[in-house]
Amino acid sequence: MSDAVSRRGLLTVSAVLWIGLTGSMYGQGQSAPGQAGAAPAPPPPTPEKAAPIDITGYWVSVVTEDWRWRMVTPAKGDYASIPINVAAKKFADAWDPAKDEAAGEQCRSYGAPAIMRVPERIHITWQDEHTLKVETDAGKQIRLFHFGDWKAPAGPATWQGDSVAQWESPRTRRGDTTSAGVPPAKAVFGDLKVVTTHLRPGYLRKNGVPYSDKTTLTEYWDLSTEHYLTGSHENEQWLVITTVVNDPTYLMEDWITSLNFKKEPDGSKWDPQPCSARW
Amino acid sequence: MRNQISRVLVAGAMLVSIGLWSSAPLRAEIDLSGEWVDKYHEDWPEREPGPDIDDYTALPINAAARIKADSWEASVQTLPERQCIAHPFPYSLRGPANMKIWAEIDPVSGRPLAWKMYGTFGRATHTVWMDGRPHPSKYALHTFEGFTTGVWEGDMLTTYTTHIKMGYLRRNGVPTSDQTTVTEHWVRHGDVLTAIVIVEDPVYLTEPYIRSSNWVMEPHQMILSSPCEPISEVSHKPGVVPHYLPGTNPFVNELTKLYNIPVEAARGGAETMYPEYRKKLKDKYVAPAKCERYCCGWEGLDGTRAATLGCITNFP
Repeated sequence: MSDAVSRRGLLTVSAVLWIGLTGSMYGQGQSAPGQAGAAPAPPPPTPEKAAPIDITGYWVSVVTEDWRWRMVTPAKGDYASIPINVAAKKFADAWDPAKDEAAGEQCRSYGAPAIMRVPERIHITWQDEHTLKVETDAGKQIRLFHFGDWKAPAGPATWQGDSVAQWESPRTRRGDTTSAGVPPAKAVFGDLKVVTTHLRPGYLRKNGVPYSDKTTLTEYWDLSTEHYLTGSHENEQWLVITTVVNDPTYLMEDWITSLNFKKEPDGSKWDPQPCSARW
Repeated sequence: MRNQISRVLVAGAMLVSIGLWSSAPLRAEIDLSGEWVDKYHEDWPEREPGPDIDDYTALPINAAARIKADSWEASVQTLPERQCIAHPFPYSLRGPANMKIWAEIDPVSGRPLAWKMYGTFGRATHTVWMDGRPHPSKYALHTFEGFTTGVWEGDMLTTYTTHIKMGYLRRNGVPTSDQTTVTEHWVRHGDVLTAIVIVEDPVYLTEPYIRSSNWVMEPHQMILSSPCEPISEVSHKPGVVPHYLPGTNPFVNELTKLYNIPVEAARGGAETMYPEYRKKLKDKYVAPAKCERYCCGWEGLDGTRAATLGCITNFP
């Protein structure tokens, strides 16, 4: 075997192997889009059908963190843990719940950046196959998570704002997603990402710590099933919402927290209560 | 002959290539490695300066845990033999915990043998074994960091820890027993890392206790080793172990005095963790007229970002 033939053979082998290796790194089994002669792709599944995790049902917030600032209304001036700036401190120092009541603004601490921190139960259902609905018994709020290319209607800002949602799975995180914001195939694992804007200014904490209309709320909803817990707690389901509040007006940096919810079998403990400016 | 050899080589390579295309799994995992800065955006006073002596709020503890916690005297940590003890694992991720995370790679398979998490107080390295090894016998050594194995559930790293030495759940003496087990779920969303920690303890807890903590990626951070050297902090008579006998702790009810938290709520218990407990609090709680301790949160009163100093100097 001459050197030239050997070199040519090795080059060919290397090229074939390189193609194989490269392909293997980018998700196997997917046909290249736009291939000549390929059958038309079926329509992507709806967000409801494509949900990699099922978070519907009743959930109760388990208040094991920030208890003193969530279960009771803290003292005026208690801003511990929130990276507020001077403008926020001045604003909060002037907090007057009576004024909020007089102005019909009792729901200021029930807006999207704060509502999941309120001790409460939530009920998650599909309003339609493109819209996830989250109801809270505390403050009787409704959040709507819109998937796909939903366009927010014009109008004034609201407590719950405009929320755009997408499922994230190991595939979508690698940039492989459809225009409807859903994974291309049914995934077993994943999370829900929700970005909320167009918010009516409110309070991050009941005692008047503010957020502004420039706030962007980003949430990641992760679901876990507890196989290691024992007794009646085995296979409990937990929903943990990692929350990033960005507010260039009142925060020095993103406020990052995570909220813990436990699955309940039914809505027997559902207890709707109106907003309160004081409690 | 030469052509035949070349053809065989190319055909072989194609077979290998096809094999790679069809069999290489799309790993449902995510890289956790890097330098991570802890965010104290919840429970900052408890996690940085430290909890109030009798603050058992939000803990699903039983009566035995309360009695033991009431006997705790903070000065016990000044004993030279105790100064360098690492935070026990059921607590360590909640305390000060800027971390460096890396994977120990199997040189043959390239797969992580273990994830290492380093930086919690006392520099106990949290090792998560990923190679399928079993947990040791229940009679094996218990340590402050315990023995941990992990599996990937999609992009979520789920771990299970046993063999933890008895310690505490909060830095004010709320105890954990050596029968404690811990489940963790690690999830990474961009540059935000969240650890969901669920503690189960048949001795001191009436139900599992969940906490979730957050870090952000900070490539400029450099976690270095910080060897601990015991010194004489407080003069104790030889053999004395600081403690309070039952009923003698003068700081019980401190939370009530400072924040008007009703005594029964300050004593904790699973009931206090759920929304319906607020109905019991409503008629008993009156917010203090103003905040007098650890009020400023992140920011110093002078408008600077000196978080810790700002708050500590804000004592009444």
